[in-house]
Amino acid sequence: MHADVAAYGCVQAAPDQFPALRQKPGPGIGQSLPNNFLKHADEQTVVALAAVLQAIEQFRMSEICFDGWGVAAAPFFLGRATLVQALQRYAAEGAWGLSPHFIPHRSQHAISGTISQALKIHGPNFGAGGGPGAAAEALLAGAVLLEGSRLPGVWVVLTGWDPEYVPDPEGRPTCETTCQAVALALVAPRPGWPGTKLSVLPCSRNERQDEQPAKTSPLSPTLQTVQQALRASAAETIPLLWELEGGGRIELASGGLNGCAPPTAFASRIAGRPRTLQQAGAGTEKKR
Amino acid sequence: MNHQTRVWITGVGAVTSLGHAYQSVADNLLAGRSGIRRVSRFDVSQHASQIGAQVDDIPCPPGWDAEEFGRLYRMEQIILASCCTALHDAGWWDRRQSVRFGIVLGQGAEWLTIWDSDMTRGGQRLLRSEARAEPLVKQACRKLQLTGPAISVAAACASGNYALAQARRWLELGWVDVCLAGACDAGVTGLGLAGFGNLRALSRRNDEPEAASRPFDKGRDGFVLGEGGAMFVLESAASARQRSARVYAEVAGCGASSDAHNMVIPSPDPEPAIAAMRQALNNAQVEPAEVDYINAHATSTPVGDIAETRVLEAVLGEAVHRVPVSSTKSMTGHCLTAAAAVEALACLIAMERRALPPTINLDEPDPECNLCHVPNSARPHRVKVAVSNSFGFGGSNTCLVLKAV
Repeated sequence: MHADVAAYGCVQAAPDQFPALRQKPGPGIGQSLPNNFLKHADEQTVVALAAVLQAIEQFRMSEICFDGWGVAAAPFFLGRATLVQALQRYAAEGAWGLSPHFIPHRSQHAISGTISQALKIHGPNFGAGGGPGAAAEALLAGAVLLEGSRLPGVWVVLTGWDPEYVPDPEGRPTCETTCQAVALALVAPRPGWPGTKLSVLPCSRNERQDEQPAKTSPLSPTLQTVQQALRASAAETIPLLWELEGGGRIELASGGLNGCAPPTAFASRIAGRPRTLQQAGAGTEKKR
Repeated sequence: MNHQTRVWITGVGAVTSLGHAYQSVADNLLAGRSGIRRVSRFDVSQHASQIGAQVDDIPCPPGWDAEEFGRLYRMEQIILASCCTALHDAGWWDRRQSVRFGIVLGQGAEWLTIWDSDMTRGGQRLLRSEARAEPLVKQACRKLQLTGPAISVAAACASGNYALAQARRWLELGWVDVCLAGACDAGVTGLGLAGFGNLRALSRRNDEPEAASRPFDKGRDGFVLGEGGAMFVLESAASARQRSARVYAEVAGCGASSDAHNMVIPSPDPEPAIAAMRQALNNAQVEPAEVDYINAHATSTPVGDIAETRVLEAVLGEAVHRVPVSSTKSMTGHCLTAAAAVEALACLIAMERRALPPTINLDEPDPECNLCHVPNSARPHRVKVAVSNSFGFGGSNTCLVLKAV
């Protein structure tokens, strides 16, 4: 299965940036969402939406109607810190101590559901993975969704904390960490598309595992390596490959001239390389 | 393979409050027995809702070390027991390593469930690095010695239908030769009762557990937590024919949409859910009037059951008063992430037994839910086309169409 990466956004945020980011997760429609839209959302949901909004802004997709698109989002240990606090309150206060928002916003569908709500997406939305290996699961499931359902596009969103958010008994992180997200807008392949392409290739019945082409990463893709690959794809002349557990591989390849070039159908000018959260202006409006 | 490839279900494995063997689940569903009672696994005295369809003894699969199985978390046990039973049932157990065998697992909050279970046992996994932890689906894949791709999908109560749709597509694309698909949940926990209870989604009919889940009834006051799972073996019709396999049904159509309205509350606009149902029927090339049975999502909440009624009225048109509809959640409770899979199993039972499982406790149908109900007792009926709706938090709407083979 092949897809064009019509747009992508990469966002990272430290814990102290979240109050502002919740208010305004990004440019475009991120500015017009109700102030309390992300009030109860997990941090991974907040950066996920910010990455989607950044991609829309950078790749000039703000005029696009996403109504028929789909969303496949892969959280990584979603709700971990909140669970520490929830268990404490449950132990101390009993059943009434648990927030009614805990389950809806910390279950693995929460990110895809929130994005579908924000962008008014009426196509399918679901979570994929949830821990180690989640990136591969989301890319695989997202590509299948795009190809199988003949949707106009699918957002594949990967999130997580780097380094891993290991909570202390109060739920606070035990080391400095940032919450990260990468959002990829996948559309069906079009002839002449010069930007980044994604291929998810199954292991055919007769294919031998040692026939994998060179430059294959020995590890499954992760949020971090996908971000690096997207940023490097403009310069790379050969594909970046990851092996899939269970056979097959995932390939991110540059179309040739400029891996970051937005598709002509979605953009009127060449967009730049991914910006940081601060460069994109997300969550910083009050400061400016 | 391609879109024209027919995908059949050739094996079933389940863990439910109504039994763990296909025959016992079928017998209990068609007898209208409830699996709901007062929750006994933990102290519920502080909870507003104190009832559930809990699964007590999860059977150790044949050939497994009972002690080792007993040490697993309940969620792991449900997954393994369901998968093993399905593999044996399909006749693939001994030959599962000879083909590309994939697995798609519907689950809703895997890590929260594991950490909660671990803390309950006095563990500290939640507070330690889990960088090398193995997700449940990978663990199942390794323990079952499957060699194909393995992923988990999460769409709350609609997860099982997403899993079946994904697996079906893998088979159509030729990515796998055979695939396990379904969904599991171990949601009857303190956090589960508290979380849904504080959303005011649960029935408080604690004095009459078996009468508490009453979809479409005027006296309904919320859903009842359930748990369990169902896994299915899917393979191409050609493969099943070649093996002379027992065939339960064809996975004929899948549809999915999002409300884009609210994370919890169903959309007042029925159009997205209507679209999911129509998509599934079109995908299966079935006209609404050809549907023989609908297993409704109907959870027994005041808002949800009426919303689904509006959807069924729109999709079925005049046939809405002829096509039988029931909600087996009246007996199984709401199995959350596992609901769609358990209800797909109910559809297979309806086909095989030529009988419609009832909606029990439907004593006084809500006039706002004016459907062709199957109240309180099973009814003989030939089912060639069954439809199962599953809607979930996050605005997910899904519909599955199963055809008799």
